[in-house]
Amino acid sequence: MIKTVDHAGAEGLVHIENLVKRYGSFVALDHLNLDVKEGEIFGLLGPNGSGKTTAINCMLALLKYDKGMIRIFGQEMAPDNYLVKKDMGIVLQNVAVFDELTVYENIDYFCGLYVKNKIRRKEMVDEAIRFVGLEEHRKMRPRKLSGGLLRRLNIACGIAHRPKLIFMDEPTVAVDPQSRNRILEGIMELNRQGSTIIYTSHYMEEVEQICTRIAIMDHGRCIASGTKEQLTGMIKTGEKITIEGVALDEELLQKIRGLPHVFQADYKNGILRLQCTEAKHNLVRVLHCLEEQEIHFGRVFSEQPTLNDVFLHITGTQLRD
Amino acid sequence: MFHLVKYSIIWKVKNFNIFFWPFIFPIILGTLFYIAFGNVKEADFETIPAAVVEETKDSRVFLEFLEELQKNGTIQVERMEAREAEQALKEQKIEGILYAADTPYLKVNKNGLSQSVLQSILESYFNGKKTIENVMKNSPEKLGTALERMADHQNMVRQVSLGGSTTDGNASYFYALVATACLYGCFIGQGSARWLQANLSPLAARQCASSMNRTAMILTELLSSFLLHFLNVAVLLAYLRWVLGLDFQGRLSEMLLVILTGCVMGVSLGILVLSIGKWQEKIKIGIMLGITMTAGFLAGLMFAQMKYIVDQYAPVINRFNPAALIADAFYCINVYDDPSRYARDLFTLSVMSAAMLAISVLVVRRVRYDSI
Repeated sequence: MIKTVDHAGAEGLVHIENLVKRYGSFVALDHLNLDVKEGEIFGLLGPNGSGKTTAINCMLALLKYDKGMIRIFGQEMAPDNYLVKKDMGIVLQNVAVFDELTVYENIDYFCGLYVKNKIRRKEMVDEAIRFVGLEEHRKMRPRKLSGGLLRRLNIACGIAHRPKLIFMDEPTVAVDPQSRNRILEGIMELNRQGSTIIYTSHYMEEVEQICTRIAIMDHGRCIASGTKEQLTGMIKTGEKITIEGVALDEELLQKIRGLPHVFQADYKNGILRLQCTEAKHNLVRVLHCLEEQEIHFGRVFSEQPTLNDVFLHITGTQLRD
Repeated sequence: MFHLVKYSIIWKVKNFNIFFWPFIFPIILGTLFYIAFGNVKEADFETIPAAVVEETKDSRVFLEFLEELQKNGTIQVERMEAREAEQALKEQKIEGILYAADTPYLKVNKNGLSQSVLQSILESYFNGKKTIENVMKNSPEKLGTALERMADHQNMVRQVSLGGSTTDGNASYFYALVATACLYGCFIGQGSARWLQANLSPLAARQCASSMNRTAMILTELLSSFLLHFLNVAVLLAYLRWVLGLDFQGRLSEMLLVILTGCVMGVSLGILVLSIGKWQEKIKIGIMLGITMTAGFLAGLMFAQMKYIVDQYAPVINRFNPAALIADAFYCINVYDDPSRYARDLFTLSVMSAAMLAISVLVVRRVRYDSI
């Protein structure tokens, strides 16, 4: 069952309707419906094999599909619809740069696929290099760059021509944390400058951090979509509490299970895990209960539900393998 | 588009595999050809020293035959005893020993050009002898006439070309080599076409998803590949003509036009093969290898007479074999001086190239892939 919290209303900047893509007998996209509004960072979240990259490649008119419709900027997407492609930028999952060209030459080349004017292109290339922080590496070849810097180059090649719509397919795979933060900040800056971004990832934390609206995919379908708050509001869990180093007997455990707003309590290996509905003072009530019984405890954690919880709730499996 | 052609050339030049082998392999092959037979026609066939050993008293005819050959400087014959002759052969003072026996025979201690000439001399003696014996047996009254004709025969044939350039039978190998080198442009074309097929590389996927017109992309790759390969083959031609000193007597501008057309043909072939079909890239490379080597073989790259055999038994093949067309164009410039045939060869090559490119554009222009 597809749970959609908000409706895009009028057709979005990107409109996908009933998209079906099969590889032989395997259904990669199963009647996928998506709408991406202008100005948002739209996250496509799902585990490996859920169809995110296939959806992106169909949107880019690189892949054949069996059924459905894709419209971008109000026009049907086709391989020779160059008017639409002019305002699109692509950052693919695999790094796509020329090993034989320098950083500057790579960005200049790909910008040149969109921008013919030499002077304007030079400005754009210089700005893209500054944007991704590769000023010191302008003359280096990709082979000499670290994984994080290579990913930044990959991004620069896709956004140098200042596209209105940017597709980013897992741009932070195998990237060090510093580069990842830099990339995520850059994406948000691009969005502030006016670009609409479709961002795919299986890293829930990234999607939660930067995306304004999220679609969760599984087995080629969109199983839930909305803002993070709307998605987490779909499930019962309002707060998760973990208490370590606690010794409980069955009687006390039942008592804790009976506390208001606690709907699930698991105790194993000295760790108590509770799921509560959204309410104030859940943690205080639980700790008070333990203190009354003079039960000692170790570290205590309280966290809000994540998209992984949403995914788990809907599919019964974890978001990450 | 110039901007893209510039970068396309830069990365191709820096990509060792794409650029190097189509450049160096024909030069290596040309050098080996030259070592093998490049100077044969110019070689001074030095008078071959040989010994003749009389084994029978009745060998006058053979000895007179050898005397006649000495007069035109082909061989220098010295009569020796058997042991003396063998010693001289061992010490390499002579190239072979001709034994004047009932059935003359030759003894040599190595294989080489001189030994082959001595063998030919012996065979021509046997042929002549058999001819005379036949004439005597069948028409003895015509013996005198037959002898006169046999004596004049060697003076009746002299090779000249209609255009005034002397033919060199071995030049055909080099023409076929240049032709095959032109077709090796298919490997550079294939390297280019990789960047046009989104299912072959992420780079190609990025390019195909861009707003660059597919036809313009193909033309960009064609132009950059062609320029590089034209340079390759022009260097080869210069190497053959001015370093190895081969006999390319035609006008340079016409030869350059041939290799220009040939290179476009080669690159177009590579782009076409990689653009069509769903086979793996390795299979497509194998196909191109097969096409170029077969075309070269049929044009006489490995066996000079092959071109003429094909002309005799299946001439339509040479009308469309690009290597044969290129080699034939070289013949037209350097040997026949036949402008209309030259123009026909170039026209056929141009039409074939245009057709290949048109097919590539049609296939690639709106293609979407089953999987990437």
